Amino acid sequence: MIGWLRHQKHALIAALHRLRVQPVATLLTALAMGVAISLPSGLYLALGNLGRLAGDLPAQPEISVFLDADASAAHRQAIAGRLQQPDIAQARYVPKEDALAALSAAQDLADIAAGLTQNPLPDAWVVRSQAGSREELARVAADLARLPGVAETHLDSQWAERLQAALVIGRTGVWLLAGLFAIALVAISGNAIRALVLARRDEIQVSRLIGATDRYIRRPFLYLGALQGLLGGLAAGGVLVLAGRVLRAPIERLAGLYGSTFQLLPPTEAEIAVVLGLTTLFGWLGAWLTVRRTLRLGMATR
Amino acid sequence: MIGFSQVTKRYPGGHEALSGVDLAIEQGELVFLTGHSGAGKSTLLKLIAAIERPTSGVVSVSGQNINRLSQRAVPYLRRNIGLVFQDHKLLFDRNVIDNVMLPLDIAGFDRRESLKRARAVIDKVGLLNREKANPISLSGGEQQRLCIARALVSRPSLLLADEPTGNLDAGYAADIMAMFRDFHQVGTTLVIATHDERAIAALGGRTLHLDHGKVAEATA
Repeated sequence: MIGWLRHQKHALIAALHRLRVQPVATLLTALAMGVAISLPSGLYLALGNLGRLAGDLPAQPEISVFLDADASAAHRQAIAGRLQQPDIAQARYVPKEDALAALSAAQDLADIAAGLTQNPLPDAWVVRSQAGSREELARVAADLARLPGVAETHLDSQWAERLQAALVIGRTGVWLLAGLFAIALVAISGNAIRALVLARRDEIQVSRLIGATDRYIRRPFLYLGALQGLLGGLAAGGVLVLAGRVLRAPIERLAGLYGSTFQLLPPTEAEIAVVLGLTTLFGWLGAWLTVRRTLRLGMATR
Repeated sequence: MIGFSQVTKRYPGGHEALSGVDLAIEQGELVFLTGHSGAGKSTLLKLIAAIERPTSGVVSVSGQNINRLSQRAVPYLRRNIGLVFQDHKLLFDRNVIDNVMLPLDIAGFDRRESLKRARAVIDKVGLLNREKANPISLSGGEQQRLCIARALVSRPSLLLADEPTGNLDAGYAADIMAMFRDFHQVGTTLVIATHDERAIAALGGRTLHLDHGKVAEATA
């Protein structure tokens, strides 16, 4: 056990030493990995932020209830009564004259409004529900739509739901992309390690002649792969921090134009740990695959 | 300690390096292998260290049948064998002491213990003042002594040397052979392949003469 730990320590020190004596190669590999990792993880972060946006906006969702043009007074009375129920927080009546006036006031649409010979807009209620969840909200909207005299209801959180649906596709895309880039990571690591194995051919052959096990020979290369993966993960972190800095101001300006205080959220510590853990793992895997192959094929001395 | 029974080694391409060799070497013996180049001396040493496997026949070392030795067991066999090469096979990316410590690292020794042992053996081959030097700066004789130090540092019971003085002038060669005599006197089994008739005469011991893959015993 102590011998095993000692071997691990030796291998780790040897690997660190190797990284230090080849700073340029180490840096280039870490950069290649960093770029490969930053794409899926950057997309993941972007989707996380967008998802938060979709989750935030319908906090005060409104239901527009449009009435039939020929709704009877009794029906209108009943609808107004229904809107007194406790599941409705607030209801505001918008007569069609007001709606047309609002339309005329909107600069771009004034001409259209002026060209109309009669008012095509329905009377409407703008309703705020007590409902907490999206499902409850949808139920209230459906409930209102069934009242006689109601032409249709429109749930203003619909766009958020569509965004959610789009985000689901986006997330699936992230996983696909992450899978592809994991393969790229294994390939980059394997290639870097292969060059190192070939460069250390003499040492490997001599070590074998004086009683080194394959495991002993493999170990420093596996540590190298893992360390290189870790460095790649850190490089990706650097790329993302930089991208976050550059994007922060324009995003806050855009959010400001929508009257929102939306801010980019950085990744959580757990997310960072997962990404670094995975890059380390894939770096190790790449090293393991090449070293095993190279030792089996390339070395004549058994 | 070493036994060959009807051992034949044929290389891919049909060249037969050894044919039907029988021999036995006892613990603590000093044995010279002689013969023209290509007579099979190196092949014989390689079979003992399990670097090659016999085409037919049985090779046994320390009671282990080399034919049946699994690939995973080979390293542990080699840790008990010191190998001295004509071309030294030193590593030029590290200094003298680190070269000597390599076998101890491989065997998982504590670094302080390794250093102590490595210093002792470097002292024995007369390189103590070159401890931090890169082996490339050493003369041929010094490189060979370093190679011997590396072979001996893990205190193997068997030392195999392939033309250890092949590239050295007479003075250095006598040095090296004197060193081998010392190891023989402390009980190490030595098998030395050499052309050096003077050394054989000086050290005495048994001589196995190889001729076209066959062994003839000669007593010096």
